[in-house]
Amino acid sequence: MDDFMSEDKVGCSVETVIGENSYKHGRVNQWTTSVVEQCLIQLSKLDKPFKFIVNCIIMQKNGAGLQTASTCFWDNNTDGSCTVRWENDTMYVIISVFGLAI
Amino acid sequence: VSFKTILQGNFNTDETSILVKECIEGVIGGTDYNHNKVNQWTANIVEHSLTHLVKQGRPFKYIVNCTIMQKSGAGLHTANSCYWDTTTDGSCTVRWENRTIYCVVSVFAVAM
Repeated sequence: MDDFMSEDKVGCSVETVIGENSYKHGRVNQWTTSVVEQCLIQLSKLDKPFKFIVNCIIMQKNGAGLQTASTCFWDNNTDGSCTVRWENDTMYVIISVFGLAI
Repeated sequence: VSFKTILQGNFNTDETSILVKECIEGVIGGTDYNHNKVNQWTANIVEHSLTHLVKQGRPFKYIVNCTIMQKSGAGLHTANSCYWDTTTDGSCTVRWENRTIYCVVSVFAVAM
């Protein structure tokens, strides 16, 4: 799973969808949906025998604390995950990708 | 009746929701947001949830994700998308809050 998992691919999707935009409550829904869709499209194009789960969190920067954790029950030899943290002036974005071998 | 049919289970969203809510209550019910403890809380919530799910003995791989945020007026949005077998796999998201904390837990179950 790790040989093709690239943080760049995920980072690219976020740049394309959000870029330099400021946090806007009315658009955040659209952004999270687009980011996960873009990532999933890129991953499915790789044509590997995996099931994928893509999770995206967008938080406005205003001093609040945020903590996320994940735990997985899978096959350590074949399955894996990758988390990308991205930010601009007004928001934090955290994307997690989980790949499970079929 | 084939052996595979007996083992194959469909993911039960309601049962999982209840299980997860209990795990959350057990770890942070009645507490206020505490920066020093948050790390411990998220880890405990995901571990307890996973342990209970695995105990059910169903033929699934699981991913449990927990996000805890301090209530301070900031906006938070989460989304997820899955590329899997829609007849056998499933997910469930539980949102919980108290006076000072928002907690969102997602469980993904992928059939083996």
